[in-house]
Amino acid sequence: MSDLEIQAGLGRAPRAPRTARASRRFGVAEVLAGLFALFLVTAALFPTLVAPGDPLGIDPLSAFQTPSPAHWFGTDESGRDIYTRVSHGTGSSLLIGTLATLIGLGLGLVLGTLAGMLGPVVDFTVNRFLEVLFAFPGLLLALLFILIFGPGVATATVAVGLATAPGYARIIRGQLLSVRSSAFVEAATVLGRSPGQLLVRHILPNTLAPLFVLGTLGIGQAIVWASALSYLGLGAAPPAAEWGAMLSAGRTYIGSAWWMSFFPGLFIVLTAVSATALGRGIERRMRHA
Amino acid sequence: MHTSGHTQRASRTLTGLVGLVATGILLAGCATAESPEATEPVSGGTLTYASGDAEPTCLDPHVGGNYPQALVSTQYLESLVSRDEDGTIIPWLADSWTESADGLAWDFTLAADVSFTDGTPLDAAAVQANIAHIQDPETGSSTGYLALAKVTGTEAVSTNVVRLVLSEPDSALLESLSQPWLAIESPTALARSQDENCAAPVGTGPFQVEKWVQQESITLVRNKNYSSPPEDAGHTGPAYLDSIVWRFIPDSASRYAALQSGDADVIDNIQPDTIVQAEKSDTIVHLDAPRPGASNRIELNSGRAPFDDPLVREAFIRSANVDDAVTSLFHGTAERSYSALSSAEPLAVSGPDLFDYDPAAASDLLDSAGWTERDSDGYLVKDGERLTVDFPVSTNQSIPAEQSLFEQIQATAKETGFEVVLSPMDLSSWYTALGENDYDAVSAPYTKVGPDVLRILFHSDGIIPAPSGYFANHAQVNDPAIDALLTQAGQVTDAEERAALYADAQNMVLEGFYILPLFDQQNHYLLGTDVVGARALPTVSTPTFYDAWLK
Repeated sequence: MSDLEIQAGLGRAPRAPRTARASRRFGVAEVLAGLFALFLVTAALFPTLVAPGDPLGIDPLSAFQTPSPAHWFGTDESGRDIYTRVSHGTGSSLLIGTLATLIGLGLGLVLGTLAGMLGPVVDFTVNRFLEVLFAFPGLLLALLFILIFGPGVATATVAVGLATAPGYARIIRGQLLSVRSSAFVEAATVLGRSPGQLLVRHILPNTLAPLFVLGTLGIGQAIVWASALSYLGLGAAPPAAEWGAMLSAGRTYIGSAWWMSFFPGLFIVLTAVSATALGRGIERRMRHA
Repeated sequence: MHTSGHTQRASRTLTGLVGLVATGILLAGCATAESPEATEPVSGGTLTYASGDAEPTCLDPHVGGNYPQALVSTQYLESLVSRDEDGTIIPWLADSWTESADGLAWDFTLAADVSFTDGTPLDAAAVQANIAHIQDPETGSSTGYLALAKVTGTEAVSTNVVRLVLSEPDSALLESLSQPWLAIESPTALARSQDENCAAPVGTGPFQVEKWVQQESITLVRNKNYSSPPEDAGHTGPAYLDSIVWRFIPDSASRYAALQSGDADVIDNIQPDTIVQAEKSDTIVHLDAPRPGASNRIELNSGRAPFDDPLVREAFIRSANVDDAVTSLFHGTAERSYSALSSAEPLAVSGPDLFDYDPAAASDLLDSAGWTERDSDGYLVKDGERLTVDFPVSTNQSIPAEQSLFEQIQATAKETGFEVVLSPMDLSSWYTALGENDYDAVSAPYTKVGPDVLRILFHSDGIIPAPSGYFANHAQVNDPAIDALLTQAGQVTDAEERAALYADAQNMVLEGFYILPLFDQQNHYLLGTDVVGARALPTVSTPTFYDAWLK
């Protein structure tokens, strides 16, 4: 991917202008995404509020029940309520997604700043390093990390963070370069500001705003990746109520109990979609602010 | 190589994903293939077998000696004796045998005109080379090595009579020799390096190993000169099938999808819900072959805290609701066991009263064992230590239903105050965890013909690792009284006396709460209806395709 493409993807390239009014109006997708996000945050912070049961509580004799008023999403092979498990799994999924994104953004920020600020030699080195990382698909990078440090929730989180970092670093570098060459930075340079002052007072603030958008978009992706790792048995261990792990457990019974994999899968998809919808919404508003 | 392990698992899981989609599509259109009723065996064709067991790291079952090796090596290796459906030992590579009056020497007369597939003739020297190979520490055998514990030497009485010399009488010798882990291989082939022999062992069987593409499949082709079927086989002469492709599909849903689509003709390690589904189908046949030897059980490590205290062991057993778990997960395909032995063993002793689910009694027991405080998570604590049970689970050796059963035990034991930590891991990590004594509970299948498996599992000698590093006494039972009973039972020839001794030993094991029996170890095979004549060998229930042909 070239820097140009990345910048275009971020929306820095000129687009058809829109009226400020239109961009402030909430679309149906945004409202739905917002409502779902609200549900997720509630479920993450106060899981018992949305599902009072015990996500690990078994009831073997009511195993494999189809979705019904008693069990909205049905029950699994040990009679655990899928709705309760999916709701209680929100916390860990969101936490993993958020932490992984923060790790990715943090690392990306460091690498991107180094490349964008410290001159051509560092820029060249960091760029080649990033190219090496780009040569591996993200998930493979995460798998390599887990291979070295062993499976588990913590390593999966760091692994996803690491895997997303190169992408962020590229974007941040491009962003830095474009801000650095902008008129107001040149003006500040002419006024004799030190490089440190330039970075902290002018360049970083103008670089960080788009990062917020990237982060929102990234959380959805990070949750999908973290679920993928759990699905492969490299993240959360059974019987933890984690979406990817639930999906993996349900796979065995897909022929006889579709609801075991359908609902965790649905939540992964809806979470990623709503994070993307919200991220796009914020992006649009910021561009026209 | 270590690096490839995880990525491989990932790619296998990807294969699984593809299979998942395939299952969905296939479920809709379960075809009803009608073929004209053929009764005369037809020669030719390739049978595809898809195994859910771990892929062996060595195709020679002398090395290590686990069930995945037995499954495949049954097709190309043969033993001195076999067993018929009634449990009677029958001739195979040995035509006849005699035991000396003191029980310390056994003479085996070998079948005439049998050759290994490399042309080496089967003779007394070949058998001697095999016994030596199994007992050589360099080979790294465990199953075969442990079974031959009493054999101290061999002699060639004549070209076709071999004598085994024993340190003490062994009532289980014939049963031991009937197993695939003690199969007879070509001495010429054994003389090669271990790597070479692992890649393509040479036997006398109806098929021979042609090639092995690791992580993919083993190709076996017909032995054209085959002349040594066991007495209970359906025909003589070479096998009907041209070849067998032995594949590995670890994901159970993908494996079943492969059978439904015709990509596989036979699959093993079937999930209970799949068996129920398959039994409704008229294009799939279910072959149920209970395994002999031990029952499927959880062994409690009595060699370290907390299970060094019998009260805590009993409390754990009383706190586990196994009955409901077996009912919900196995859909009637497995019966609850209360015995150390498989119900296929006539000498099995069952103690249902010892394994009742009784959380109140469990709490009282823990109370008297000094576990009286609880921490904020509800787990019992003594001297600042939580009542934790480390439970490594080999995902290669258990179907998902078994892993779910452990989760249910984890949940019910938690109510009493046990923290059961389930750690799913691959086979090699699991062997390592056991080797480092890093477990409190473990479920390890152990298959052996006859009650002598009790000696392997519960005699204190079994705490000492075999040359492979594996030790079988995971419960770490170290009781001189049990040792004495098992040693004596292994020596007596009187059937009634032997049964009484084994019964006493089993009762002591059950009453000592060293194990929590779960259900019978079973082999379930699903076959396409185009496969005719396949059966499980009555020794350790591995499948044999010598009589099999394709419609």
